[in-house]
Amino acid sequence: MAMAALRREGRRCLSPLTSPNPIAAAAAAAVRSSLIAEEQAPCGVRSISTQVVRNRMKSVKNIQKITKAMKMVAASKLRAIQTKAENSRGLWQPFTALLGDTPSVDVKKNVIVTVSSDKGLCGGINSTSVKISKSLYKLNSGPDKETKYVILGEKAKAQLIRDSKKDIELSITELQKNPLNYTQVSVLADDILKNVEYDALRVVFNKFHSVVSFMPTVSTVLSPEVVERESEAGGEVGDLDSYEIEGGETKSEVLQNLAEFQFSCVLFNAVLENACSEQGARMSAMDSSSRNAGDMLDRLTLTYNRTRQASITTELIEIISGASALEG
Amino acid sequence: MASNAAVPFWRAAGMTYITYSNICANLVRNCLKEPHRSQSLNRETVHFAVSKWAAGQPEKPIFD
Repeated sequence: MAMAALRREGRRCLSPLTSPNPIAAAAAAAVRSSLIAEEQAPCGVRSISTQVVRNRMKSVKNIQKITKAMKMVAASKLRAIQTKAENSRGLWQPFTALLGDTPSVDVKKNVIVTVSSDKGLCGGINSTSVKISKSLYKLNSGPDKETKYVILGEKAKAQLIRDSKKDIELSITELQKNPLNYTQVSVLADDILKNVEYDALRVVFNKFHSVVSFMPTVSTVLSPEVVERESEAGGEVGDLDSYEIEGGETKSEVLQNLAEFQFSCVLFNAVLENACSEQGARMSAMDSSSRNAGDMLDRLTLTYNRTRQASITTELIEIISGASALEG
Repeated sequence: MASNAAVPFWRAAGMTYITYSNICANLVRNCLKEPHRSQSLNRETVHFAVSKWAAGQPEKPIFD
């Protein structure tokens, strides 16, 4: 709702004065008000109308109020989600210790899972994850290779639909209507696993560092067959044979379970980190926009006062010269 | 024990490990005592919209 109001305000105030230069703005206001004065003011009124500037000041003030409110909302949401995101890091760290992280693995079927937000006004986090996804796509495309996108969130969908809609396999939205939880993300991970064929899943998300900084990150989840192949070849994947397997399950079964669980954990962390970065980015974006609104308000106040003073001076000169004409 | 079979019973039923573990987790949640039970069940709500894409066009979203 706040966003809609903001958009409306923005449209309304874009038209009259867009010049950042106060003098040019004053001139524009003068031109405009003289046009309006002919329609609205009674005949013979020569003073410059300050109505336009006043209206604009009011709308800028309203925008500032909205951005300030959005910043507060983002800050409180951030606090709730930050602890969750930091706790969820413990879920994928054991997997990385066991299987290692192999972003450079070369396989045939790649699936890029792009994590983004549903809502905008949060700086550049969505375009960074889309950019990273596209470069991953280029890195992993080849004659006998196949790369597909799975998109989380409305914003990355809107960006990827433009040039690579042929490669989109799945898109998931409305993830953040309720507070994020593991069950939700694991059901989602299950849906993704059932609907795509993969050798490697590459999850692209923005890792939360601090309120003002986030890192675009790729985590790779390999399919069980690839893990087995890599560990036999003695590649980067850790030494699995040194682990004893309990029960009657074979290694491939254990690996399959492990890969599925790893994906759901990695995705859970990715979704949380991205949500956290989103709120942080929104907070700083709203902070700078309320600061900009304040600057604009200062400039407009200056223009307004100058125009007002000029009209008072003109009136005074008229009165004095009239009086002196009578005396003389 | 069933899990000692060549293929675990739940995988034979077409489940993935994630589905299986979620069902188990839900069972545990149902065993909690009352204030905690409804709390934990409410916390774990599942809602999202998935749409499959075919030939560059999204199909109708499915809500979970």
